[in-house]
Amino acid sequence: MIIRQLVIKNFGKIHDRTLSFSPGINVLYGENESGKTTVHTFIKGMLYGMTRMRGKAARNDAYSSYEPWENPSVYGGIMWFSHKGRNFRLMRNFSRANVQGELLCEDDGSLLDPEQGTVEGILGVSEAVYDNTVSVAQLKSVTGQDLVRELQNYMASYQGTGDNSIDLGRAMQMLKMSRKGFQVQEDRKKKELEKEQEKIGTKIEYLRGELEELREKSAQVEKKEESLRMKPGEDDGEAILDERIDKIRGKKAVVGMGTVLALFAGAGSGAALIAAMDMLIPGILCIAAGIVLSAAGFVYNIRLGEELERRTRLKARWLSKQEKIKWNKETLGEACNEKETAFRNLQAEYKEYVENAYLPSLEEMEIRAINMAMDTIAALSGNIHDQVGIRLKKRTSQILSEITGGKYQEVLMDRNFHMTVNTSDRTVPLERLSRGTMEQIYFALRMAAGELLCGSEPFPVILDDVFGMYDEERLAAVLRWLHKEQKQIIISTCHKREMEILEKEGIPYNKLLLTKE
Amino acid sequence: MRFIHLADVHLGAVPDRGCTWSSWREGQIWETFRRVIAVIRENPVDLLFIAGDLFHRQPLLRELKEVNYLFSTIPETRVYLMAGNHDYIKPGSFYRDFQWESNVTFFKEEKPVCVKDEKLDVYVYGLSYEHQEITAPLYDDLRPKDGEGLHILLAHGGDAQHIPMNVKGISASGFDYIAMGHIHKPQIILRDKAAYSGALEPIDRNDLGAHGYVEGHLENGRLRTNFVPFASSSYEQIILTLNEDSTQASLEDALDAEMGKRGRCNIFRVILKGDRAPELLLIPEKLKSLGNVTEILDESRPSYNLEELGKQYSGTLIGDYISFFLARDRNVVEEKALYYGLQALLETSR
Repeated sequence: MIIRQLVIKNFGKIHDRTLSFSPGINVLYGENESGKTTVHTFIKGMLYGMTRMRGKAARNDAYSSYEPWENPSVYGGIMWFSHKGRNFRLMRNFSRANVQGELLCEDDGSLLDPEQGTVEGILGVSEAVYDNTVSVAQLKSVTGQDLVRELQNYMASYQGTGDNSIDLGRAMQMLKMSRKGFQVQEDRKKKELEKEQEKIGTKIEYLRGELEELREKSAQVEKKEESLRMKPGEDDGEAILDERIDKIRGKKAVVGMGTVLALFAGAGSGAALIAAMDMLIPGILCIAAGIVLSAAGFVYNIRLGEELERRTRLKARWLSKQEKIKWNKETLGEACNEKETAFRNLQAEYKEYVENAYLPSLEEMEIRAINMAMDTIAALSGNIHDQVGIRLKKRTSQILSEITGGKYQEVLMDRNFHMTVNTSDRTVPLERLSRGTMEQIYFALRMAAGELLCGSEPFPVILDDVFGMYDEERLAAVLRWLHKEQKQIIISTCHKREMEILEKEGIPYNKLLLTKE
Repeated sequence: MRFIHLADVHLGAVPDRGCTWSSWREGQIWETFRRVIAVIRENPVDLLFIAGDLFHRQPLLRELKEVNYLFSTIPETRVYLMAGNHDYIKPGSFYRDFQWESNVTFFKEEKPVCVKDEKLDVYVYGLSYEHQEITAPLYDDLRPKDGEGLHILLAHGGDAQHIPMNVKGISASGFDYIAMGHIHKPQIILRDKAAYSGALEPIDRNDLGAHGYVEGHLENGRLRTNFVPFASSSYEQIILTLNEDSTQASLEDALDAEMGKRGRCNIFRVILKGDRAPELLLIPEKLKSLGNVTEILDESRPSYNLEELGKQYSGTLIGDYISFFLARDRNVVEEKALYYGLQALLETSR
């Protein structure tokens, strides 16, 4: 592409200004604040439009900064350019009220609407690539260390992304931070889940303990039952007790009867002896014997009565004990069943809870997405590195060698993005080079990137105050190289140095003067 | 004649285990059941149908006693009760030998039976689950008996594992009303003829919307039913739509206001939608502390115009990245990946 002419109607501070460019070297000279940057922005705006940012960002975006104060309904101008042998006239008005555009192919008279990305289509270069190739600004860093970093960043970005504004390292860092955030959240949730799981587990253990205790008690009751011979059958405790009581009761009846009998027998036989045979003494003896015998029987009977009472009491006590054990057994059984059910319920709950905990969490999804983003970036960047990186290094080295008269022959970058430069006999790390040399490497890199990224059709290069740190010799070498390359160059400067050297070297150039209005 | 039909009370369930409101909800489930009984006590209905899953798991004896006591306080109402798949009658279940109040009819077997109501000309048909799953269509061949009056079927299930049902067919065979349980979302299957009352209280975060019971009455010889919202809380979805001016604080305020409006006793799932400013780094997790929030689904994304950015950055990594994803039929993860990577590349660029 060659820029042929600009008519800036109303753009920023510039009104009704015509600038004609040559296809070779152009020097856009003007003091600070004279509007050089405005011209650059105008060119880019004409080609890619002035997109307004949305929201708060719109307050100080380029659109607002260059919106004219006076007559804002006219905001734009006309640009003539050639591309691949065809000539175009591009007209645009960016005004809020009246957005207009017209792209005319002067060769066949066809008209197009530039709003629909037609210019990009014709040029085959995106806005980002334009930023990376056409417009070359000065290195921003002041100190040596920062400069090294900036230059290495440029190189690394070009190699891996084709875009020097991308900071791959920081982008990856940002993704890692986000991932870490989700990881922390997920870990916390997992811990909470585990804690909850443990809580249920503890409850289950507690229930298990209670259940065992109850079972133990049941076993004891069982033993007691055995010892009391409570099991119905031949050895039934109750039957044994009854048998014993019956025995005593029988004994008692016999003894009672015997006592009475003895008394009657004694008294009867005594009385008979006395009355019938008048045997007084034996009769009395008989009576006495009867009395003694019955008295003994009487005493024994009382004892038996006591025994019977004791046995009856014993049985009553045994019965009540049995009742109690039976009741105990029932309650224990009921409690056991209840606890058993609760235990099983809780076990089911635990199982369900654990199963649910294995479901993928929302965090997991975010982490997977972030991983995918990182993998994709790495893979795509690898592709670009394969396609661009090697050629970029080669071409950069070549240009550097040409503008340094063969002093520096090769630019190298290792895996850690550390740059070195080869002279004919040694390798020098970037840190050891002078600012001037670093500026030369930067220039070589930008020129190489421009060629690689733009494809077959060369694009103009706008050099915005890039030669400030060049000494005369270096500047002359660069200008000679630019002339040799036969590209359209727009050197934007506030110094007269470039023009002086161009004249001294006999290199033709087109001078464009900007003055403050 | 008036009746209340409820189901899926799930007494003993612990909703949202691990959340702060979990044990409160556990209590609410019992409380709401007691409230239903209290309502009936105040204004007695003739019949109360409980179509299964009164309990979340195997009922404990004391729980049966508790429920039986509650039934004893509504002696004028005859209660028809069945066990569902959750509280199915296991061997050894307390359901087996439990002595219910005289106004309670419990269907004891996994075999449909018909019970004629003592006082009204109403025939109630039902069965109980004795297994967790029943794949046989036990209701489909059921026919009402010959008899003047209303024929009402208590039916639990309706999916493949839990007694599949051809409700239309069953209804057409002559049942006046099918009181259904198992599905937690209240829904009318056939107007005034068959309905899921839904869970009395929502049991988990998927039971969105209103919950309660079905009330029915005879009106000029025709049965009319209507749903009565009765639950004390509901699970609701709040969609917050972000725009480019949204911030973390504005989002928190919006959510807080919305939860206030809907009632803070409810439980919310928050979905973030819309386009947010690219530089805004949201911390959705923080929204959870504002109330009963179960989860936050972040479906919002940075307000990038992918097509425009793709054009603008064509030929560089960002352009490659966008076209890599645009060329695919993106699933949720890929969609998120696209925006995560893009945001990182653009937000960190010089």
